[in-house]
Amino acid sequence: MGHTKHRALPVLALVAVGIVALTSCGAGSRTDNENSTTVSCDYTAPEGKTTVNVLAYNSSAIDPFTDTMVSSCSTDDVTLKHDPIDFGGQVTKTTATLAGETGTYDILETYGFVIPGFGEEELLVPLNDLWDKYGDDYGLGDISESMVEGMSYDGNIYAIPMQAQMFVMAYRTDIFEDLGLEAPTTFDEMIDAAEAIKAEGLMDYPIALPWLATADVTTGFEGAMNSLNADFVNAEGDVTLDTPEAQQALEAMLALKPYMDPQVTTFDQPKVQQQMFNGTAAMSIMFSGRMFDLTLESNSKLFENFGFAGAPKVSDDAEYSYNRLSIDGWSIPFNTKLDHDMLFQMMASAVSEDASKASVPAAYPAREGMVTEKNSPYGAAANDSIASAMPPIVSPIIADITNEIRPILVSVLNGQISVEDGMAQMQAAGEKIAG
Amino acid sequence: MKAREFWLLFFPSLLVMGALLVLPLVRTVQWSFEQVRYGTPGTFVGLENFTDALTDPRFHKAVLFTVAVTIVTTAILLVFGYIIATGINRITTSRPLVLGIMLVSYVLPNLVGAVAFSWLFDDNFGGVVNRLIGFFGGSQVLWFTDQVPNAILVIANTVWHMLPFAMLIILAGLQGVPNELKEAAKIDGANGFQTHISVIIPTIRGVLGFVTLITIMDVLRMFDNLIPLSPQAQNIGNESIMLYVYSVAFADGAENLGLGSAINVLTIILILIMLIPFIRGIFKEAKAER
Repeated sequence: MGHTKHRALPVLALVAVGIVALTSCGAGSRTDNENSTTVSCDYTAPEGKTTVNVLAYNSSAIDPFTDTMVSSCSTDDVTLKHDPIDFGGQVTKTTATLAGETGTYDILETYGFVIPGFGEEELLVPLNDLWDKYGDDYGLGDISESMVEGMSYDGNIYAIPMQAQMFVMAYRTDIFEDLGLEAPTTFDEMIDAAEAIKAEGLMDYPIALPWLATADVTTGFEGAMNSLNADFVNAEGDVTLDTPEAQQALEAMLALKPYMDPQVTTFDQPKVQQQMFNGTAAMSIMFSGRMFDLTLESNSKLFENFGFAGAPKVSDDAEYSYNRLSIDGWSIPFNTKLDHDMLFQMMASAVSEDASKASVPAAYPAREGMVTEKNSPYGAAANDSIASAMPPIVSPIIADITNEIRPILVSVLNGQISVEDGMAQMQAAGEKIAG
Repeated sequence: MKAREFWLLFFPSLLVMGALLVLPLVRTVQWSFEQVRYGTPGTFVGLENFTDALTDPRFHKAVLFTVAVTIVTTAILLVFGYIIATGINRITTSRPLVLGIMLVSYVLPNLVGAVAFSWLFDDNFGGVVNRLIGFFGGSQVLWFTDQVPNAILVIANTVWHMLPFAMLIILAGLQGVPNELKEAAKIDGANGFQTHISVIIPTIRGVLGFVTLITIMDVLRMFDNLIPLSPQAQNIGNESIMLYVYSVAFADGAENLGLGSAINVLTIILILIMLIPFIRGIFKEAKAER
């Protein structure tokens, strides 16, 4: 007995450590395609075994399209390979694969923000001819014209739009009804609502926004400038980070800060979702792709208390809403060795009508009229929001400026430097990139 | 062993070391003098990358933070590693279980462990530590945005992750201390503390030196745990050298591989400087044993 006990303890300890180690190794399994939609994918397969490497980050809005492509277009001889990756990893891998004459990937998930830069450097295959050739077969004419424009640069289409995301407001209907509040339509109304909620002692930080210092914060700043019909550069390509609009945008963001968690510059979208799930915030603004999670009973006991509205404006007289329209799509890298016709048909299949329908409500497909009040709990809010978003300014330098000004913006929001100094520093950083 | 046998056995190791260690090191040094983008041949820029790095206040802050965390963490690991190893050395039956439990934090991937660790301080995910502080009447601590609390958080996580390793190595050293030495000290009237200071620690100084060496090298290349633990590292001055390199060379599609390589070369020099006392010690011991 004594011997058994003596052996049991080390075995138990080793098993415990082993389980932890094995669990760790299991992290990052391949994409689960069991529930993917099957669509027609009629391309002419090349001779012999072929692997098509697909680079697309994992999220509830992107996965339905990726899974459909992988499961519908794979045959005995042609294998579509897609490994799980987060957005940051995708950005790094995209830069690396597009750097040389040979790349790792054959199909890339891209987004409107980077299309002008890649287009300028001719890193993606223009799809105009293929669009004309296969457009009717795959009903590409039903894809929103503005989204096609968003994936184009200098007259060339560089990606087939798949889905879009725009800022949507989520708010606690129970609290707003109890206090007789309406869904806010401006930042001032958000502040008024937050004051009322705080005065009732319901929560300390009623407003939750994703302002992560290493990512989302610049999207928020750009959204605030867009509300005022401005961006980091104007249509002529001049940097506009020292303009009255930039100042108003910064001051509007600072005005919200007292009603947000003091550590808001460490909050990404999942953390803002968590604040809503936990009931520590009463209103939030995130990309529409994050809204579906709020409606799931498995995520929060408050799931029935979330209402949705279009993104508010920075001020009463602002022309557009505090908003960003982010369009995702499929592109062909310039250095793939595979047949462009085959790759285009795979991409077009993944955004077919059936695939797009199946992606709702997790995604907002690029096809016109797919999302309605009936098939999506936040469909009406998303449609309102997309209608109030400023049309994007197409510039190949905005992405680089965004990265460069991020730490300066965080310093302004943290109160480490003044708005005026921040604007001057951001303008200088932007002009350095613009040359 | 014949020379032929020696080379036959040594050659595979030489090949692997050359491919995985020497070649990347040579390429790093080469790139540190070039402006390099992915997939393109570099352009020679002389010492420009080094000048850029050495005149960047962000690099100074990263070096200061990394060295400070390394010194504090190493000191804590040595002290607590020794104390815990001494305690575990005394227990017999339950030792495997205790060791198994303690090793959990070490076998967890650094990033996974750091994410879980950050939740202890994050109100969104329970924030047990914050609740305890509140329970005892303390005020809200901004663990992720204030420099000093955040540095404490980073050090605590590094200690939590590396303590089992330090403890295990020291435990192995303690088990090699002859009982006769301890008994002699006891007969000479030394108390427990005196025995540790004057007998046991000098006996295992080689082991303690090894732990120090490994800890310094490990902490100086601290990187992935900072992503969840210090999302605002750059702004609050809690950026490690490796995080700075990643940010310059890779993050958000950055392509300053030359500058990143120059910072890596400077880091290697820094590591060598910090390890000089220990390397000298090892050489001295080796010389004395001849």
